[in-house]
Amino acid sequence: MTEVTTLMPATKKAETQANSAARLGLWLTLPAQLLVLFIALFPILMQVYISLTDWSPLDGIPWWRAYELWIGLLNYTDLMADSRFWGALWRTLFVMLVCVPVQFLLGLGLAVLFVDDFRGKRVLYSTLLVPMMVVPAVAGYMFFMLFQSGGPVNDLLSFFTSEPVRIAWLSDPDLALIAVMVADIWQWTPLMFLILLAGMISVPQDQQMAAILLGASWWRRFFTIVLPRMKSIIIIALAIRVIEIFKIFDTLFIMTGGGPGVATETISVYIYKVTQQELIWSYVAAIALAILIVLSVVSVFAIKRMQRGQDG
Amino acid sequence: MSEIALENLGKSFGDFTALADMNLTIANGEFMALLGPSGCGKSTTMNMIAGMLRPSSGTIKFNGLDVVDVPMAKRGVGFVFQNYAIFTHMSVRENLAYGLRAQGVRAGEMTKRVQAFAELLQLEPMLDRPAAGLSVNILQRLAIGRSAILEPAIFLLDEPLSNVDAAFRAVMRSELKSLQGQFGQTMVYVTHDQLEAMTMADRIAVMDHGKLLQVGTPLEIYNNPADTFVARFIGAPGMNILNGRLTQQADTVAVDLPGLGSVALPPALQAAAARLTTPDVLVGFRPEQINAAKAGLTMHVGFVERIGARTIVHMEQGAASAKAVLLSEVETPKARKDWTFAVPDDAIRLLDPVTGQALVGRPN
Repeated sequence: MTEVTTLMPATKKAETQANSAARLGLWLTLPAQLLVLFIALFPILMQVYISLTDWSPLDGIPWWRAYELWIGLLNYTDLMADSRFWGALWRTLFVMLVCVPVQFLLGLGLAVLFVDDFRGKRVLYSTLLVPMMVVPAVAGYMFFMLFQSGGPVNDLLSFFTSEPVRIAWLSDPDLALIAVMVADIWQWTPLMFLILLAGMISVPQDQQMAAILLGASWWRRFFTIVLPRMKSIIIIALAIRVIEIFKIFDTLFIMTGGGPGVATETISVYIYKVTQQELIWSYVAAIALAILIVLSVVSVFAIKRMQRGQDG
Repeated sequence: MSEIALENLGKSFGDFTALADMNLTIANGEFMALLGPSGCGKSTTMNMIAGMLRPSSGTIKFNGLDVVDVPMAKRGVGFVFQNYAIFTHMSVRENLAYGLRAQGVRAGEMTKRVQAFAELLQLEPMLDRPAAGLSVNILQRLAIGRSAILEPAIFLLDEPLSNVDAAFRAVMRSELKSLQGQFGQTMVYVTHDQLEAMTMADRIAVMDHGKLLQVGTPLEIYNNPADTFVARFIGAPGMNILNGRLTQQADTVAVDLPGLGSVALPPALQAAAARLTTPDVLVGFRPEQINAAKAGLTMHVGFVERIGARTIVHMEQGAASAKAVLLSEVETPKARKDWTFAVPDDAIRLLDPVTGQALVGRPN
């Protein structure tokens, strides 16, 4: 007991010292912190502000005077009832739910093939990464040409079915979305492959050897050693693709422009149209804010999972 | 239970010969240490026994059966990796059960055996703890248990103590030795640490540059090294080896060590010395067997290292250097002074200066 009491002042002193050091650190980093806060916080606050008004740049008043057009939560209640918004949101989710698993499985399969050495591996490896390096706009034009009714895709189908195929891929409301998803899978499977291969290579060899010596089959090793050890990298790869697909725009816009009708209109395309064609900026602010909230929730969830994966 | 026979075993990687013409029979239940510096071929040998590498030449037989074409999963070999290769994303229980589950053992039987092994290895209190973050001696026990639970006839251990700090190594050594006693399997233990080999092994196979140099019990190898490499490699510090010349003195042969003095050869070595065609010879003696004396050999003391119970004396004379290990209670020679010592008759070994081979006393 006496020991504790004699120790008390010393600890207090140390605490004050640590506090003053922390305060000095705060002062020294304050300019940078303010800058970061400004960059991150200011646009969001501005967005919240504008989303509560009916402001548009054509109204002839600067944005900070948008309160003159105050409409409260009207934009948000409109959004709730906006079937085009909900359609775009569900379409984006649908593209995500198809493309991310397909890209993941293809990437994982390729990673399994490439984790061992074989002849010509390096050439094939570089070739596989090419789609990722193609500018998305160029990829969009490539697939636009490929899916023309007189284009190579139909020629190929004609060759296999030995009768002339003339499918109007990009102007059929059901098929256009498929064409768009094919393009996304072509372009972004390589990224998934690259990340998953890196993860697979980092699985310790001796653990796999140990599993073989204990009599484990290839499948058992894959599911009990390789995949569990890749857990955090898999979560990272999936998170990257989920967030990216949520923002899918350039390839898709060049291929279909969101059409026919609204058949391929995703969230980004919808926002673009409302901003550029209908010029309802305050409404766009409300949409963007809603999506930011959704994405943040998803990201927080993913990061939490990731951390749990690293603990386990 | 298995006997391992390596017959003319060889392995080359391209132009590099990792192992040449190795012949070694490891008896059933024996603890055999493969000892040598890195690059001597010991790990290559073990990886071939395990089936991770395919021999370039020769055969490996378990109980007389050629196993070269048997895949590693089917050889019935337990392997303990240098870093134990514990599945750290699983619990201790899952690690122990991994092999049983892979081989389709029924759930009830599995639970029973895991429980029995956990009791044997004193892993019971931590069965459901994650394997990550356990201390090294528990990891070692777990690594051994994970293999032993499949009852392999042969156990291979690849330098399991090399990542452990020196103080803990003694604990691990005795634990490992007692585990081997419990399981009674044939154990092959690869190490570069002569102390580990000396303290644990029934027999030691000393290797260097892809060749097997000597096989014998620790004391055989310590007392009668087959050549200069083994003589210097075994013991800490290793054997002193000095250049000498045979001289005829009256009716006996002695060895003149230039600058140091001369030693009379014991009768047992007289005949061996007579077989040499040139008068040049290497004289070997253990640092521990030197005693201070009034007359004998004289060398200049460079420095004196005190390491507790013992004292190491570093000596030089011309091009020759030698060490002496004395008990701390004995009066130690002064640094930078000459010191005279005697080598007992039975401590003297003669080696051929050309081939490096010992002249007598090689075990058959």
